[in-house]
Amino acid sequence: MKNLVKLALISSAACLMLVACAKKNQPQTDPTAEAGAAATEAVDANAAESQVNADSLAAEQARLDAERLEAERARLEALINQIMSEDVYFDFDRSELTEKAKELLAQVGELLIKEQRFTITIEGHTDARGTEDYNFTLGAKRAMKVKEFLSAYGIEDARMESVSYGKEAPKVEGSTEEAYSQNRRANFRVNIK
Amino acid sequence: MKRFLMILIALMMAPATVLAAIDTIAVDVGISVFKTTPIGVIPFAESAGIDWMEERPHQIVTRDANLSGRFDVVASDKFNLALFSRSRAEYYITGKVQPQSDGKLKVECGLYVSKTKNLLFGESYTIAQKDLRRAVHAFFDKVVYRVFGERGVASTKLAYVSKMEGVKQVVVSDYDGFHRSQITRDTTISMMPVWTKGNKGLVYVNFKTNRPRLYTKAFGGSEKPLFPQFDQTYSPAVNPVTGELLFSSSKDGKTDLYLGNLENNKARKFAYLKSNQTSPAWSPYATEVLFTSDRGGGPQIFVMGKDGSDMRRVTFMGRYNERASWSPKGDRIAYTSMDNGKMNIYTCALDGSDIVQLTSNAGSNEHPTWSPDGMLIAFASNRSGTYQIYVMRFDGSNVTRITQGGENTSPTWSWFYEEDKPQPKEGKK
Repeated sequence: MKNLVKLALISSAACLMLVACAKKNQPQTDPTAEAGAAATEAVDANAAESQVNADSLAAEQARLDAERLEAERARLEALINQIMSEDVYFDFDRSELTEKAKELLAQVGELLIKEQRFTITIEGHTDARGTEDYNFTLGAKRAMKVKEFLSAYGIEDARMESVSYGKEAPKVEGSTEEAYSQNRRANFRVNIK
Repeated sequence: MKRFLMILIALMMAPATVLAAIDTIAVDVGISVFKTTPIGVIPFAESAGIDWMEERPHQIVTRDANLSGRFDVVASDKFNLALFSRSRAEYYITGKVQPQSDGKLKVECGLYVSKTKNLLFGESYTIAQKDLRRAVHAFFDKVVYRVFGERGVASTKLAYVSKMEGVKQVVVSDYDGFHRSQITRDTTISMMPVWTKGNKGLVYVNFKTNRPRLYTKAFGGSEKPLFPQFDQTYSPAVNPVTGELLFSSSKDGKTDLYLGNLENNKARKFAYLKSNQTSPAWSPYATEVLFTSDRGGGPQIFVMGKDGSDMRRVTFMGRYNERASWSPKGDRIAYTSMDNGKMNIYTCALDGSDIVQLTSNAGSNEHPTWSPDGMLIAFASNRSGTYQIYVMRFDGSNVTRITQGGENTSPTWSWFYEEDKPQPKEGKK
């Protein structure tokens, strides 16, 4: 629960930051006619403080809309990044979810319930030890355990796809237990419907 | 110490085969059990004016003889009866190379009887210098047939996976690592190559759809997706009799074996089992199938009939035994076993007894594949720091590295070539 609050804080902070950035950068990064017009209108409005007309109001509205859209986009992006960074780790040659993994998946489940447009691909991975063949089956089992958990959490099966990468896509190179433990994982790819 | 004593007592009380079912078990480690045949090799006589860009014929013969696992080379600069008879080399190989007016070489190769210097049989090839290796391989296979009455493997090939610019690609080379050619050119991982029947092409896995899926490609042809009705497909095994494909498919976390037809992409479930199954391998006459099941928790090797019946467990020692393959003679299986995170190659009889450890104390050793004559096993090892392909005798002796540089894994030996052998232009039979 504590984690959840922390996470919420982090994600909202990230959203704010992104929104702030989006605001600052808008004239440079968004060279659409609308945004350009909004910027000039804004300057005009500053120059002639008292002059309020329908045109500038509309421009202001457009600017706000664009900003809101940008903020929403940034918020979704932050959420997607968050889900994609939530790797679930496993013990060697095991596919059972650890308590820590379940906590983390509960958070992902919450996000997916809130954001109904998100669909996910769950990728199962193994460490570098063992054969390619068996590691595919192991990765498939891991991805499935994650899918089952999220399914039980209330996410529709149609929104989830599971795939095994076996030992072919390590997150960390190397043959230390540290590297191995980072690679025995399931992670997410997020798509928006 | 106590444990050791117990094992010792157990060993004294019971023959090794009885112990096959328990964890403490006697395992032979890489002891050469095969008696090699000495054979003399003398540099070929050559006319002046040959600009050598390849190894000389006697060097190629020497490497073939050493790799074959059948011979011990007795090298000599010229005919030396004392040396040959002292070394018990009943036969010797030598020949003659003459440059032709069109730039080709006329290469005469002969197998001679040491005692009499009589020619036992000879072959003559008129070839471009770049084809010298293949000509000598063809001659050498005939030597093997003459001396042992069995086909040699010097003209066979290997398919394996090579990392190029960070991406795994499927490549093919001669069995000795020469004449390498790249088969896949993708930006996504290609892996698990196996040979289709008659060595016409390969079946392999590629990730271009963001999941492991099987594809096939005839040599010189284009790639064709296999079994697109399945989600994730891998672990291909070609039936040596019918050419059908056994493979694994994972769906919703469950992995099963399927039997499919490469021509029409139809496939059906091969065995209905609760456990996950992978790494299928056919017996030499396709009457039985080895596979790996996780029904005991970790991977263990099982065997069943080709109709999916009569399943029995083969491996009992250790917690991780995987990827078995049947020796072409049908009497033994090779597989990999994990111990302390390191993979090593073992062979055992089909009832799981008579375990022999072929590799040890040399990095991880994986993916054994039998030569079609059953004499050799190729495998991948990182003993040198990077993964490279090695060839050894089936008893674990005579380990020879055949790839250099980069990272090379997952070798699969071709079948015997029924055609495609370089034909001698003039025979002296």
